[in-house]
Amino acid sequence: MDDLFAVPRGWLESFGEIVKFCARILGDIASLRVFKYFGEVLRQAGILIVSSTLVIWGLVFIIGLQCGIEGAYFDRSVGVPAYAGVFAAWCDLRELVPLCFGYMMAAKVGTGIVAEIGSMRISDEIDALEVMGISGVTFLCATRLLGSMLVLPFVYLCSIGAGFFASYLAVVQQIGDVSSGGYFLIFWQFQNPPDVLYSLIKAMAMAIVIVLVGCYYGYTATGGPVGVGTATAKSMVFNIVSVHVIGMLGTQLFWGANPRAPIGG
Amino acid sequence: MATTAVDRVFAPTRGVLQEAGEMMILTGRTIVSAVKPPYPYGAEFVGQFMFALRLCWFPLLVSTVAFGYEAPGLQAANFLVLFGALDRLGGFFVLASIREFAPFVDAIVLAGVAGTAITADLGARRIREELDALEVLGVDPIKNLVVPRFLALMLVTGLFDIYALLFGVFGGVLATLVNHQPLGPFWATFFNNASTTDLWGSVVKTTLFGAIIAVVCCYKGMTAKGGAEGVGRAVNEAVVIAFLAIFAFNYVFTQVLLATHPALTDIVK
Repeated sequence: MDDLFAVPRGWLESFGEIVKFCARILGDIASLRVFKYFGEVLRQAGILIVSSTLVIWGLVFIIGLQCGIEGAYFDRSVGVPAYAGVFAAWCDLRELVPLCFGYMMAAKVGTGIVAEIGSMRISDEIDALEVMGISGVTFLCATRLLGSMLVLPFVYLCSIGAGFFASYLAVVQQIGDVSSGGYFLIFWQFQNPPDVLYSLIKAMAMAIVIVLVGCYYGYTATGGPVGVGTATAKSMVFNIVSVHVIGMLGTQLFWGANPRAPIGG
Repeated sequence: MATTAVDRVFAPTRGVLQEAGEMMILTGRTIVSAVKPPYPYGAEFVGQFMFALRLCWFPLLVSTVAFGYEAPGLQAANFLVLFGALDRLGGFFVLASIREFAPFVDAIVLAGVAGTAITADLGARRIREELDALEVLGVDPIKNLVVPRFLALMLVTGLFDIYALLFGVFGGVLATLVNHQPLGPFWATFFNNASTTDLWGSVVKTTLFGAIIAVVCCYKGMTAKGGAEGVGRAVNEAVVIAFLAIFAFNYVFTQVLLATHPALTDIVK
């Protein structure tokens, strides 16, 4: 009987550890302790902009193309090729842009943080920091979280743009069942500013969880260079699952009871 | 050496091209080495297959149910309810789950879970110089380590596609139930629109995704370098390259499949 519950108990335990650790980081930000190291916050934000934005936009661009062709072929098959904009608008803004943003955040930023902080942990640099009287959680984790909070909303809004552009290219320029004006008429009718806000909230929830999880796995890495690799791989498992679950909860919360479409009453 | 402006622009580009070329070479050598006798990799193949199975079944289950319920389920149901045509959700799920989302969620989970584990494992062996030791002993690392992982990941990704598809459709069933509708019309339109071409397209696509993941992750693991940060960095790069490659390949494959099989886009009532 004990064996049966060992695995779920292990999951619960590590989940509890993660939540406790995240609460510490959030506490550092809420109590403004992190502003002691505001220079480091800006440096982390800069690193994020320079090293990760292009890759994120690239992935979102490809998924925008994908939404475009699926929408164009689907709407052709139901006999309303002029309405490909509906599919593209909903597919891009509400679902796949946040999800792909989450995937690439997990892959590029999340694992990057684990690798970086993990190697600091196993080469005893974090202990050195604490000997000098600098809190490792504040200096390494809270600064990274605040840095990403500063930068990521803008990165995400631009990646929505990349997705829209790609869908336009796929539907109008590549498949070509609908004119540019006809496409945009429908495309803009089926979305409004609150949709963008909801989509942004969904993506930011994903991004914050990913950064926190990355910090946790990096900060608690053990077992030499090999341990860093294993921790990186483990963080990816957690992040993939949480991206999907957050996406689902967000959709249920924001659009579950209200389709927000300009049809009917 | 003085770095000119030209060097600064072309050095990264050359690095990317070189890496892509080396991955192609690794693919070629893996395929040749897989078909050329002897075949010493049976046990390792089974081991890797079970490893990927054990690691991925749960994340994949949660991910596909969540995704199926979320994107094609809730949003499409919302749209169809406005027209009082929720029974068409089944037909939509053929497009959504079989053709598109089951394969790519499958590939994302496999790359993120099994692929990263492979890179971490091979990277650790590279850092500990175990791979060099194998070569000194006259054991070919490609035949004994890369080939079984390549074959196992292809097989496991292809099989998991069916699994992802079932749970993705289960997400659609949930969305129908949430809207208080009977399931009969859902299954009727689903099976009317499902075609064998869609199914084999989906399985072939995911099998090739498995090959991409295996090559990228093995390459990054075997070329890991640079001490403590090396393995973690290798995992990071591997998963980024694998995601980009999967999505790019997915776009090309879907476009070719749709353009060459117009029958796929006929809706049956």
